[in-house]
Amino acid sequence: MNLELTQQIRDQARGLLKSGTVKGVIGYERASDGLTARPFFAYELTGTDQLIFDETCSHNLVKYLLDKKGEKMAVVVKPCDSLAINLLLNEEQIKREMVFIIGVSCTGVVETAWNQKSQTLQARCQTCRLPKPVVYDFLAEQEPIRRLEGELYPDILEMEAKPIASRREFWHEQFGRCIRCYACRQICPGCYCPECFAEQLSPLWVGIRIALGENELWQTNRTLHLAGRCTGCNECERACPMDIPLSLLNRKLEKEMEELFSFRAGLTSEEQPPFATFRKEEKLGFEE
Amino acid sequence: MKVEYQPKVIGFLCNWCSYAGADMAGTSRISYAPNVRIIRVPCSGRVDPLLVLKCFQRGADGVLISGCHPGDCHYTEGNYHARRRFALLRNFLDYLGIAKERLRVEWVSASEGQRFAEIVASFTTELAELGPCVKERSLG
Repeated sequence: MNLELTQQIRDQARGLLKSGTVKGVIGYERASDGLTARPFFAYELTGTDQLIFDETCSHNLVKYLLDKKGEKMAVVVKPCDSLAINLLLNEEQIKREMVFIIGVSCTGVVETAWNQKSQTLQARCQTCRLPKPVVYDFLAEQEPIRRLEGELYPDILEMEAKPIASRREFWHEQFGRCIRCYACRQICPGCYCPECFAEQLSPLWVGIRIALGENELWQTNRTLHLAGRCTGCNECERACPMDIPLSLLNRKLEKEMEELFSFRAGLTSEEQPPFATFRKEEKLGFEE
Repeated sequence: MKVEYQPKVIGFLCNWCSYAGADMAGTSRISYAPNVRIIRVPCSGRVDPLLVLKCFQRGADGVLISGCHPGDCHYTEGNYHARRRFALLRNFLDYLGIAKERLRVEWVSASEGQRFAEIVASFTTELAELGPCVKERSLG
């Protein structure tokens, strides 16, 4: 457990609850395996002692704000999670005055499973460019803040370099394993439609049977709905029980959006997303 | 008897320009490849990438999206939005293993019947060379 950060978070949470600024604090607590972390909602002063922060806190807690729109909540966010807050602010899903953001200057999180954690940082943390949250009300800081460098999309470039037939084969193998449990959607802070296209019956876009074609339609369109919106928290990939490499899809579009429209989701809450706007003079490879 | 492979093309044509352009090709008695199945849409901006993906899933070999020339959209800016969307989708399809040549976006005005016929002809030839887009079909 990172005592320095944990103490700052606990003090802040206590102050917020005592003054009645917020109704509750969404943070992390130690899971019952005694090793990893799980989300925790502190509504009472006594609960704040359970709050922790360390390298196992990989959940993106921003998703919970969508369920707590009616009451002011405080939420603990890592730099990557804070991008999702900007996304939801931009899309007017949450109100800024209804959230108190406890930012954490993070040095990366590791892969965890029940009663186990790895020693190496998650892949996304190894190329993380954000030392501190892009939006916060209070910042729990620690020294030193490590800045990591390196190629952002090594796996995507490798994939793009493969011949088209082997790319198709690869994806068919991946999509063939999908059981369409929709865990990737449920955990995604960007997926909040009251009715998902995958569950519309008329027209029935995605057939109910679990088959390659339907699975592919689900996964590809899910990714497209997150184009220019995915903030790269990678919760979907961690939630996937079939270990489908969803980050290869999401980050491909992230890369495309950067190359085509120089846009990265979540950096500000004001900038118009690429698909809400256009430039008349751009050609984008199409003849006029 | 061996039947020659004929690519299946789905064409989403905007009501105001390209559909009228295709109509112009017809009334001008210009013959063009019968491979394209035309679906009339109010605007090229109406075409959701989901429609394109669905076409490929259900066995299309190519998808043609055609709208008014940039600047001429009946709804002022629908085709600008379409252009952004399909610039992305094209690259994404390629990444998934569906050749980007299988998605074509063309601007055809109501007077360009000849041009429409030429586009369909060249697209069909290109697709015939690429061969069938083998996919897992949803309903046979």
